[in-house]
Amino acid sequence: MKWFPSFGFQRRKRELQEEIDAHLQMAIADRVARGETAETARQAAEREFGNIPLVQDVTRDMWGQAWLEQLGRDVRYALRQLRKSPGFTITATAMLAVAICANSTVFSWIDGTMLRPIPGARDTGDLVSLQRGERNFSPTPPLSYLDYRDLREQNHTFAGILAYHNDWIALTGGAQPERVYIANVSANYFDVLGIKPVLGRFFLSDEESLAIPNVVLGYSLWKTRYAKDPAIVGKSIEVARHPVTVIGVAPEGFVGAAPGLRDDLWVTLDPLGTDVWRMTHRDSDWLIVIGRLRPGVSRGQAAQDLDTVMHHIVVAYPDQHLGDNRITLDPMWRSPFGANGYMAATLPILLAFAGVVLLLTSANVATLTLVRFVSRRRELAIRQSLGANRIQLVRQMMLEGAVLSIVAGVVALVLTSWTSKTFAWFFPANSIPLALNGTMDHRVVIGIAVFSLLAGMLCGALPAWRSSHAPALEVLKAESASISGGSRNRKLLNGLVVAQIALSLPLLICSGLFLQTLRNLAAANPGFEQDHVLTASVGLNIAGYSNDEAQLIRHKILDRTSALPGVEVASLTDWIPMTLIQKRNDAYPEGYVPHPPESLLVENAEVGPRYFESLHIPILEGREFTLNDDEKAPRVLVVDQTAARRFWPGQDPLGKGLKVWGRLFTVVGVARNSTHTFVNESPEPMVYMSYFQHPGYETMVQVRTAGNPVDLEPVMENTIHEIDTRLPVFDVRPMRESTQMASTFAVIQSTLAGMFALIGLVLAITGIYGVVSYRTQMRTHEIGVRMALGASRVDVLRLVLLQGLWLTGIGLALGLAFALGLTRIIVRLLYGIGANDPITVVSVVMLLGAMSLAACYLPAHRAMRRNPVTAIREL
Amino acid sequence: MNEKDQYKNRIALLQGTLDMLILQTLQWGPQHGYGIVQALHLRSGVVLQVKTGSLYPALHRLERQSWVQSEWKQSESKQKARYCRITAKGKSSWPRTWADGSGLSKRLGR
Repeated sequence: MKWFPSFGFQRRKRELQEEIDAHLQMAIADRVARGETAETARQAAEREFGNIPLVQDVTRDMWGQAWLEQLGRDVRYALRQLRKSPGFTITATAMLAVAICANSTVFSWIDGTMLRPIPGARDTGDLVSLQRGERNFSPTPPLSYLDYRDLREQNHTFAGILAYHNDWIALTGGAQPERVYIANVSANYFDVLGIKPVLGRFFLSDEESLAIPNVVLGYSLWKTRYAKDPAIVGKSIEVARHPVTVIGVAPEGFVGAAPGLRDDLWVTLDPLGTDVWRMTHRDSDWLIVIGRLRPGVSRGQAAQDLDTVMHHIVVAYPDQHLGDNRITLDPMWRSPFGANGYMAATLPILLAFAGVVLLLTSANVATLTLVRFVSRRRELAIRQSLGANRIQLVRQMMLEGAVLSIVAGVVALVLTSWTSKTFAWFFPANSIPLALNGTMDHRVVIGIAVFSLLAGMLCGALPAWRSSHAPALEVLKAESASISGGSRNRKLLNGLVVAQIALSLPLLICSGLFLQTLRNLAAANPGFEQDHVLTASVGLNIAGYSNDEAQLIRHKILDRTSALPGVEVASLTDWIPMTLIQKRNDAYPEGYVPHPPESLLVENAEVGPRYFESLHIPILEGREFTLNDDEKAPRVLVVDQTAARRFWPGQDPLGKGLKVWGRLFTVVGVARNSTHTFVNESPEPMVYMSYFQHPGYETMVQVRTAGNPVDLEPVMENTIHEIDTRLPVFDVRPMRESTQMASTFAVIQSTLAGMFALIGLVLAITGIYGVVSYRTQMRTHEIGVRMALGASRVDVLRLVLLQGLWLTGIGLALGLAFALGLTRIIVRLLYGIGANDPITVVSVVMLLGAMSLAACYLPAHRAMRRNPVTAIREL
Repeated sequence: MNEKDQYKNRIALLQGTLDMLILQTLQWGPQHGYGIVQALHLRSGVVLQVKTGSLYPALHRLERQSWVQSEWKQSESKQKARYCRITAKGKSSWPRTWADGSGLSKRLGR
């Protein structure tokens, strides 16, 4: 196989040969002329010349290019060796490829979500997201418009602060109405993020608070709905039955400032002039805020700066700022607004697991390589005696490891380009416009290269280091029994096996814990009945209906759906539990004086009559809402147990007053606690208001069905359409499907941890099997002698088994120690089970022990059944 | 140290000497490897302690340093051989190497 750099080399080699041949010819000719015979002349000339190959070698060294040709030779030799043992090569490459792929897949998910929080934005490392008040895992929007503007104008530490608010809206013009996710944004939104329009322009600063109906389209919306019309700028489209003008198109790939969510288009804060209330009232908190730090400013400094500004605002307007007003800032990679908060809790741990798998795999391949190397000691000794020096041999072994890992890396690269996209599979269909997936960008490729290199070095270095200590003469003379590796190699092999068992034990334990958590979550009682419930969203608010129109429609919906056959109870709500969405507002009991910085935020929802009945949530005291609880009736409220205990501890809450949004509501009922978002959340108080008294922003119909809710889906849609054909109806699905969102992360964790643990188990078992079987094979001669001297078969069995079990025992002990440390890291992710759950630990130890026993037994059994005569004869 | 390393060391020791001998020989005109060996035997009257093959590494090194240039020609006996001739750069290095090899100059009859 000729390689390009050595074309010239091959030619010069040939020429040197010719040159030497010519010299010899002339020498011979001269001698013959002097009277010697041809044969004597030839021998004399060659003797006089010296060691021809040696001369050639040294001369070639003079050319100065030797290393490249040497490398080529070494690589070719490595490939030949690998081809000679295809079993080893394929196994090792496959194992390394899987391990590297596992690592790079998780890393690509981290890259696609956490490390690229706002695709298309410039320098996202300088961006921070703002939280106000008590820190929460999924907070509600922190600021009102006027507060935001004050912060923006009075701070000293930010280059720019933007604000946005997300919502659904319907594009009503055209043949097909479409529901899209919209963001109301401040005028500097695109500027702070560093985005340039691909067509037209973005918003100007004076457009921000004026009611100018301009809209910026997202690239994919422009592509799919408007066919990339190049003249779209200036055209008018219809949004929620209002005409708006397109002023620009955002570049491809930019989907908004909320990590993991996809915006379809952007408008100013109050484009239609219909939201005057929230533009002018400081107690209406509806904006999410992101800031770009000035160069050299730290997050701590910036938070303090904003805190000071906020303090002045609170002092000036105390009534609109009840509760906790502390400002905290988070870097975008773990921003709690959007998906990254959840990602940051899960993905890094999975990467750690994948790292352990890589270590395990490298140990396994190193074991295989070492075993293979020991059987090649004769060949290496011969090479050494022929003149190869230590460096060459070491280089050789490392090259074999490098070739393996390069091939494995390439295979892993191909695999990862597919597996990185599988992240989206974990997220069931739901009402959140997720844009979450892994990416294969240059960082991931570099990651793969690094992993491969690490693996290759680990696998190749060990035998390489071994080979440099082999004294050739001894090896050539010795019998196979001592070639089996000497005590140093044996210790190394033992160490590798122990390491593999020790590494796979914690993986298995963690995986067991995750699986148990998943089962507990699935079996946990959320406090309401989710089977036989169908929900459907009706886009009243987003399609531009007036309040009165909407109320009328809602009554009709309730009437018609209650009358449907198969429907037991029908109700309305603006919120579905366990879908990662919540609403919070300030609430405090009548007569209570709030002391800042105590947080007064309370989760709330607007629900219709018979809501609790439709979910089988018992009302412990008082009553549910009825149709009579409408705008004209006195304001009423249902609280849950946690709220009752929080606001009126030890008293009967019925009849008490609660101020929400500064308005007084009377408590008429107490409902039993139910799950809001996660089954393993700490209980938060929740209050419910009557839907017809204070209509929710969303309109969701919720019915309890007698049979399978899926059967009623088409009927439900038709019924609503009958009322008004222009009504957008969407997200018609059984409640079980929606609530699956809450367990998504538990599913991700258990699936991946389970896969890694399985890989780890297979590796550890094959490792121990390989080593025990190899060592037994090497001891065949010795075993034969023993049996001839009178050892029984059982003695032989015991001999081999003990050896393997001893290794397993040490591995298990080390693994337990390692596991105790590792499980502490995952404690936050567990539910219903302790980090050191004895049942899990014991079962895993027994599983691993039993499988090791089986792995040791097979070679022991084989050894036992050998004929001692043939065994002795073997060398 | 194996044989190759010892060989290389010897070459290094003789480096200057061999270079000088070769260059001196080539002063008289271009010559191929065997011819240089013959010339050295004739002129020095001393049997060189190294094998004749050891000339070649030195010759090739000289070529790499551009002190010597080579081309393939037909010799008198119709043998195709590689002729080396000294270059201007090699000529200008001559006095230097001459100074290093003063001991050997006596043997060369100068």
